[in-house]
Amino acid sequence: MKDDRPDPVVARTSDHPIVDPSLEALHQALRRMPVPELRPAFVEHAFARATAASDPVPLEPASRLSGLRHAFLRWETWFGVTLGAAAATAIAMFLLRPLAEPASVPPVLALALHETRQIEVLIDSDRDLPHAIIRVAVTGGVNLEGFGEEREIDWETHLKRGTNLLSLPVVARTTGAAWLVATIEHEGRTRRVAIALTVNAPEVSRS
Amino acid sequence: MAPFKPDRPARTDAAAEFEALLRHHVPALYRLAYRWTGSVDRAEDLVQDLLVRLFPKLTELRRLDDLRSWVVRVMYRIFLDDLRRRRASPVQPAGLDNDREDAEDADACIDQEAEPPAMVERQLTQQRLLAAWQNLAVEHRLVLSMHDIEGYTMEELAGVMEIPLGTVKSRLHRARTRLRQLLAREHFTEADRV
Repeated sequence: MKDDRPDPVVARTSDHPIVDPSLEALHQALRRMPVPELRPAFVEHAFARATAASDPVPLEPASRLSGLRHAFLRWETWFGVTLGAAAATAIAMFLLRPLAEPASVPPVLALALHETRQIEVLIDSDRDLPHAIIRVAVTGGVNLEGFGEEREIDWETHLKRGTNLLSLPVVARTTGAAWLVATIEHEGRTRRVAIALTVNAPEVSRS
Repeated sequence: MAPFKPDRPARTDAAAEFEALLRHHVPALYRLAYRWTGSVDRAEDLVQDLLVRLFPKLTELRRLDDLRSWVVRVMYRIFLDDLRRRRASPVQPAGLDNDREDAEDADACIDQEAEPPAMVERQLTQQRLLAAWQNLAVEHRLVLSMHDIEGYTMEELAGVMEIPLGTVKSRLHRARTRLRQLLAREHFTEADRV
C-alpha cells in the first residue's frame, strides 16, 4: 500500500533560499537525477531481517561480504575450500618476500618490536577477476596498520589480468610468533597464503 | 472441517514499533544511500545494515526528537566506515594507471571563471550531470546529496557529519565548484568528440 505521508526529507527542501540562478538550475538538475526504484519487497525483507531476533544486538551479517567472512571462520570450511581450490583454481597466487629482501627468503619473517613492515604479496592471474574477495587475517603479536585492533579484514576488489600487488603493512605490537594469512576468493574458488612472522625484542631483531 | 492453518507468528510489539518508526523514512534513506554509493546493491546493503544496527537501539529511538537526523548520522557513519575499508584496500595492479592524474591535468585546462551563469542550464543535460556526479569525490557527493538534493540544513549536516558549521559551508562550496568544473569538462569532452 502506498504511503501518502509527505516524504520527511523532501518536505523540508524549502528551507533553502536560493538566489543564484545558476545555482538554482544546478539544484533542480540535481534533484531530477534519477534514482532506481527500491526492489519490490526489499523494505519488508529488510525489516524482517533487522527484527528477526527479538533479543537486542542481533548483528547478523547483512552484507554479502559479511556473509562470506562468517563462512570462512569455520576451520572445516577453510580447510576444505583450500584443498578443493588447490586442484581446481585458475588463479595463481605466489607469496613473495618483502621488497628489497635478498633472494634467499627467510622461512620466518622477523620484525622488531614496534616495527612497521610492508609485506608484499603478488597475485598473478591469467584473466581479470571482477568482484574478487580478499580477506586478510593476523594472529599473534602483529596488527594490520591502519585498522586499529581489527584482526581480520575483508573487502571486494577487481583484480586485473597479470600481476597485482597486495601491500600489507603490519606493525609488531608484542614479541613472539605471529601469522598473516591472505585469502582470495573468486567465483567459489579460493587461494590462500600464510606468512609466518616472528616479533623479536629490538636487540635481537634483524632489520 | 477445514484443516487447521496456523497463523503466521505475531510479530513482536518491538518489531512493529520499530517498523512504524522507520518505515516511512526508508525511501529517503535509500535515495541518499544510492546517491552516496551509486549502486542499488550497495544502497540496499547500506540501508539493511542501518536497520540491523538500529533495532537494538529501539529504546533510544523512541526518545529522539529528531529521528531523521539521528538515523542519517548512523547511516553516514556506517557508510564512512565501509568507505574507509574500501579505500584502505591495498591492492593495486602492478602497472598503476594514471586516470586520476589525467583527470587532474584536464581540470587544469579549464578556466573556472569562464562559465557564465547562463551557460549552466544548457550544460545540465541529465547524462552529463550523471557522468559528472559519478566522477565527483565521495565527500562532495555526500554534502551535495544531503543539502542540495535532500534539503538538509547546514546545521543538520554539521550534526550528521560531526564537523563545524564553517567546514560544512566550505565543503559545500567546494563540492559545487567541483561539480561545475566536471560539468564543464563533460561539455568540453562531448564537443570534442563531434
